Amino acid sequence: MKVAMPHMGHIYVPLRTLFREVGVEMVVPPLNSRRTLTLGAKHSPEFVCIPFKLTLGNFIEALEMGADTLVMAAGPGLCRFGYYAKIQERILRDQGYHFEMVTTELFESKLMGVANLVKRLSNGAPTQKVLAAIRFGLAKLGTLDELERVLHQVRATEAEKGSADQVFQQALAAIDGADSRAALKEIKNRYLMKLQQVERDGETEPVVVGITGEFYVVLEPFSNMDLERELGRLGAEVRRTTFVSEWMKFSLFLNAFGLSEKDRIHQAAAPYLRRDVGGDGWESVGDIILHSHDYDGLIHVAPFTCGPEIIAQNIFPAIKTRIPVLTVICDEQMGRAGMLTRLEAFVELLRRRRARKGLAVAALVP
Amino acid sequence: MTTVGIPQALLYYQYYPMWKTFFQHLGAQVVTSPPTTRGTVTSGSARVVAETCLPVKVFCGHVISLVGKCDYVFVPSIRSIERDAYNCSKFLGLPDVVKAVVPECPPLLDPDIDISKEGKRGFYLAIYALARRFTWNPLKVKEAAEAAWQCHMRFQSQTREEGITLSCALSRMEDGMPSDEEGVNPSSATIALIGHPYVLYDEYINHRFLQRLRQLGAQVVTPEMAQIQELDRGVTRLIGKPYWTYEDEVTGAGGHYLDSQVDGVIAIIAFGCGPDSVMIDVVKRYAQRVSKPFMAITIDEHTAEAGLVTRLEAFMDMLRRRQGWEGKA
Repeated sequence: MKVAMPHMGHIYVPLRTLFREVGVEMVVPPLNSRRTLTLGAKHSPEFVCIPFKLTLGNFIEALEMGADTLVMAAGPGLCRFGYYAKIQERILRDQGYHFEMVTTELFESKLMGVANLVKRLSNGAPTQKVLAAIRFGLAKLGTLDELERVLHQVRATEAEKGSADQVFQQALAAIDGADSRAALKEIKNRYLMKLQQVERDGETEPVVVGITGEFYVVLEPFSNMDLERELGRLGAEVRRTTFVSEWMKFSLFLNAFGLSEKDRIHQAAAPYLRRDVGGDGWESVGDIILHSHDYDGLIHVAPFTCGPEIIAQNIFPAIKTRIPVLTVICDEQMGRAGMLTRLEAFVELLRRRRARKGLAVAALVP
Repeated sequence: MTTVGIPQALLYYQYYPMWKTFFQHLGAQVVTSPPTTRGTVTSGSARVVAETCLPVKVFCGHVISLVGKCDYVFVPSIRSIERDAYNCSKFLGLPDVVKAVVPECPPLLDPDIDISKEGKRGFYLAIYALARRFTWNPLKVKEAAEAAWQCHMRFQSQTREEGITLSCALSRMEDGMPSDEEGVNPSSATIALIGHPYVLYDEYINHRFLQRLRQLGAQVVTPEMAQIQELDRGVTRLIGKPYWTYEDEVTGAGGHYLDSQVDGVIAIIAFGCGPDSVMIDVVKRYAQRVSKPFMAITIDEHTAEAGLVTRLEAFMDMLRRRQGWEGKA
């Protein structure tokens, strides 16, 4: 059996580890590329959102590499995502592929649901082993996210653009290869140090740009045209509001105890949006209000035709005290140059805004 | 007397008689916005982001036209009306969007209807909370709700049993007059028209599609003419368990009519409709499998009438030839 899952950021690293630990072969399709998107878009319904097209492209590329079991999250949610697996299965079968589609209701089934799924795929590995594998996978995920947070800071002020990314790529390879928790810890410390040692230059206090929006396009760099890297290149420090490890922590464990990481965001959004609108629309509205003091500006990324994010966009203008927000819509008609121009203008706006605020404060203090 | 405004858009087409009865029994006066015009679409589109789907733009236009004409505007947030099937984001957040984009709007009556999460009890509580603005007497609320439900049942049975469209049943209920579509001549072809009522029956946005179809000599059947069980079976056949509320209007009707004796199926969907964008693909694939003529028309506020008419005529010509060939064979 060869298992394949779609890409989302570098989530394939912990997943590969998880499956390797329980002795299941995992096919990792090539990272998202133009080819992935073209393949996906060719067979997708025209107006479906970009995550559907990319994940379908991943499946096609994985099937070409010999995968025979496709794993996809599914189940009743409030947006099209819950339906992906069903529709994609149909499309792939119509294309003549043979495979088994395994879906997991990630939001409902929590930790044991995932454990059972892994157990099933591994032909009944002992639960102990499965749980240990999940734990190791989560540790890798946590390490990756921790390094990425530092990467976001370093990128903004590095002397030679791209050097922090080089270090991160090495770290990614090392983490992928790590086979014990001790080795992982050593790798983490080594690369955290290396990242810190990257030569800095430029502004001491770069403008801070938050990134919020729909989960997939926030986390998958190909779908948002490397938004984070481009912002770093422009000298802005990125604060991403979503990390997979945090999300996993809550959806696998803490939500079961009635804890939700989102309560605070929802409360913030309440004056303007009282209801869950599916996807991440509620959170997008909340983030803008919640971070109106600690960020200089916010970039809102959303797939084209994404219902929840359209609702959020319609509500943004009504929010009174807010920082500048730039909405970036992602679909297969990408134009890098156009986006770069918009980002440059946005970062420039934030810089001026901050300078003006600085002047205003200076005028008050004699 | 308190006046409640009901925008003539979105769920108006399937629930208006029920809503009207309910508010009237509570002693309120009901006004509706006039039918969609170019002005409605323009004023609505100007307020929301361009990507928003056409029906929501139209809805905002209708809310704007109600400003100054009523004390409250009724904009429910219908989250789910059955277990584990939810409505699309735009229905869920409708009251919040209206508040954000039409700030001059009178106060909203915005109950949350969520059968899947709150159950029947939650539903009753929501109705009661809504009625509290009009009366303190729970018995009166119960009476109004029962009358509304009776009215809704009558309304539904008309379309199902007599085979008339929702808009026809609506005008019959409103004016007591049969509309001109009753007593259709025997026709050359039967066409199933599938889609959400707010797309099929808003004559401005679909350029009188239904009438055009009839003028071309087709007998038209629509989702609400089928029995609920038939629609449910249609959904099951195509996709298994329904995922979205009102899925029977597209997937259910598609599955049902593609397997029936109709000569062709036409779907009208609104540009940017989240659920339909994937469901229409499922219906299309099924149509190919059973080789039944099928056409999906996507409409938005730019739809040029001539293009639509050409496609419709071509479709009808195709059916005619097909019938000819099958006759010869």
